[in-house]
Amino acid sequence: MSSPNDTQLAATDTKTGLSAVLAQNAGSFVGLILPVAIILALTIWPTITGKDITRESIFTIMLSIALASSLNILLGYTGYVSFGHVVFFGLGGYVGFYLMAVQGWSLWLAMPMGGLAAGLLAFLLGKAILRLRGGYFALATIGVNEAMRAFINNFKPFGGPVGMTLNFQVYKDYGGAARALSLAFYILAALTLLIVIISYLVRTSKFGLGLLAIREDEDAAEVMGVVAPSAKTWAYVLSAILPGIIGVLFFFKNGSIEPVPAFRLNFSIEMIVMVMLGGQGTVLGPIIGGVGYQSLRGFLLTSPLFKNIQLAVAGALLLVIVLFVPAGLVGWLRNRFPALRRVLQ
Amino acid sequence: MKRTIILSLFLILALALAACGGGTTAEPAAQPAANDAAAPAADQPADTEAAAPAATTETMVIGFTASQTGSQNVASTGQVNGLNLWKDTVNAAGGIELPNGTKVMVEFVSYDDESNTDRVQELYTRLATEDNANFLISPYSSGLTAAAAVIAEQYGKVMITTGAASDDTYKQGLTMVYQAYTPASRYLTGAVDLLEHVDANAKNIAFVYENSKFSTDVVEAARQYAEGKGYNVVLAEGYDPETTDFGPFINKIQDAKPDAIMGGGHFQDGSTFARQLNEKNIGVSFFALLVAPPEPDFADLGEAAVGVVGPSQWELQAAFTPESATAAGLDWYGLLGEEFVQGYEAKYDGTEPSYHAAGGYAAGLILEKAIIDAGSTDPDAVRQALEAMNLLTFFGHIQFDTTAEAHGLQTGHSMVYIQWQKDASGNLVKEVVWPLEGATAETLYPAP
Repeated sequence: MSSPNDTQLAATDTKTGLSAVLAQNAGSFVGLILPVAIILALTIWPTITGKDITRESIFTIMLSIALASSLNILLGYTGYVSFGHVVFFGLGGYVGFYLMAVQGWSLWLAMPMGGLAAGLLAFLLGKAILRLRGGYFALATIGVNEAMRAFINNFKPFGGPVGMTLNFQVYKDYGGAARALSLAFYILAALTLLIVIISYLVRTSKFGLGLLAIREDEDAAEVMGVVAPSAKTWAYVLSAILPGIIGVLFFFKNGSIEPVPAFRLNFSIEMIVMVMLGGQGTVLGPIIGGVGYQSLRGFLLTSPLFKNIQLAVAGALLLVIVLFVPAGLVGWLRNRFPALRRVLQ
Repeated sequence: MKRTIILSLFLILALALAACGGGTTAEPAAQPAANDAAAPAADQPADTEAAAPAATTETMVIGFTASQTGSQNVASTGQVNGLNLWKDTVNAAGGIELPNGTKVMVEFVSYDDESNTDRVQELYTRLATEDNANFLISPYSSGLTAAAAVIAEQYGKVMITTGAASDDTYKQGLTMVYQAYTPASRYLTGAVDLLEHVDANAKNIAFVYENSKFSTDVVEAARQYAEGKGYNVVLAEGYDPETTDFGPFINKIQDAKPDAIMGGGHFQDGSTFARQLNEKNIGVSFFALLVAPPEPDFADLGEAAVGVVGPSQWELQAAFTPESATAAGLDWYGLLGEEFVQGYEAKYDGTEPSYHAAGGYAAGLILEKAIIDAGSTDPDAVRQALEAMNLLTFFGHIQFDTTAEAHGLQTGHSMVYIQWQKDASGNLVKEVVWPLEGATAETLYPAP
């Protein structure tokens, strides 16, 4: 159905689409103001409080925002549910960690390689499994994650089931452990900002419109001239690269890597929950979702009233959201107050 | 709309799965001091202290995370119970008494790490900076400990690790971390020695083990050790942690005709393996398994348990006493094994302590002795005391590697090996068979 030219065509489409948007919307990036402001506020917050613990807590929140925003490109814009998205986080982390721990590369080089590995995997997978739709695609992504974990478990260069550990001396190259952890935070902040901007550009581009069309009705979109297979593949690749880079960063900070924590399926499910909570298909949604989800869980876990039933309460809340506010918080606000639509992208 | 329904169904399914998984999905979050039960106990001694004649009393804070939910829950709970018992014992005595008369009371701050690494660093940062912990104790399991060690090192906090056997962590240039357990590399080597002792003609060993970090670490080291002693490794096969049918592995073992089988992983797979091996009755004379055999529940296997050997970090039967300390030329410190068991059973409604519980208590004890030796809670002084430590406790011999290559690695402590045997009236009993100094019975060999 699709010839090799399609890919090229879509790529040029994307390019012209992006530059057209840039030209059209110059001076009207209103929708970007709120997301960027939130990320910047989160970034400078630890400096204001001067506490390391604020930095660590926000690290967890930023990680969620960045991963949820990445997933949103596929889940929210394209309408494909990837249940195994953590595979890119894990694989990227593994490739980068191997380069740092075994080959002695620096973090700066290892991060792009982790992103590249994740992007490459997404490209190859996209060609194969993006032809599946709906629940079948979701099932396939779970399978991919499990298969990757089984593979890494038996792959000796990556340490097999034992995993790999980073020599503590490595942190000395970055000015000691304290500096390294702080550096990891600012890199993550920059990456989060990047993914949010990318997410905005995709949403407002012609390429993004194509994705939205696929989401609404894939067959109709193809009739209208959207080259669905390649558009989906590129959306998949775009949503995989950042998690790959962040995986390297997370495990660099963590100091060790093992197959089970690297490919934890529950982590994928949490990403989906965050996207849906905030509002799938919006730029702001995954940000609100990430902040909201982590705060909610934190509150439930520490609250004396809910401490022992926190999982049940969280589950019930999520059910309510999925059933009654399927568009998420941002989607609901957009529907309720159309005047805010320009701001709430 | 259709998509929403599909998504909803998936999420419901996912949540149901998560709920069945015993809460492994739960996102870890700060959960301040969950030691509700222990808190009043801490207050009481403080009151009696106030009534007593004035001696300076300080309070030190010890921080750790516990796996209150998730896959490591059982072992971690034992460990934390052991720690709580130590704290109560210390505080009931009015605190740790330093040579200058100052008494140091112990306070715990702990959070739930939910058995996964996501927030371990965040929680340990909180312990080190917000809760102002003077000392840290490791989480349960090597993976979580490796992540926590980065933080301990960064804030210059001494961390005693327990329930973290992997050697790797201590070979990464750390300086503040000290291991209470016998490291993984020496978990099964004693079983090889035992085999050599009971049968000089045994030459072939089959290793069948769980494909996990811990078991693989253990088996790799045991395998090298066995090969160094001239044994032939006729089979080395890892199995998936979820394995329930060991038939294919048992067939391979049968073909390889080993004299001994060593391996296993954790409780569930280990006991299944032992049962199925017994059912097939392939006539191997020596069978050593990790983790599962020392657990009291292993006896539920009945006949299949008889003859199974297992390494344990601590067993009551392998009695270490002040006399054995003198004999070995070591200092003795702390309580006797029987006293530990009595205290534990009294505090936890008659529950028998596992070696994880003993390990938790031992971690506290090591810290206590180091603080007394140092004469203060100053981290540097305590570090020096730990470096110089060479001690016998109810848990066994404690000494740390002080070289830069493997700093903090436990070098003194060693495993004891138990074997399930039948007593005169046909009841299953756990006997210590190795090392010979601590043995309570002859090894049953060949195993039935």
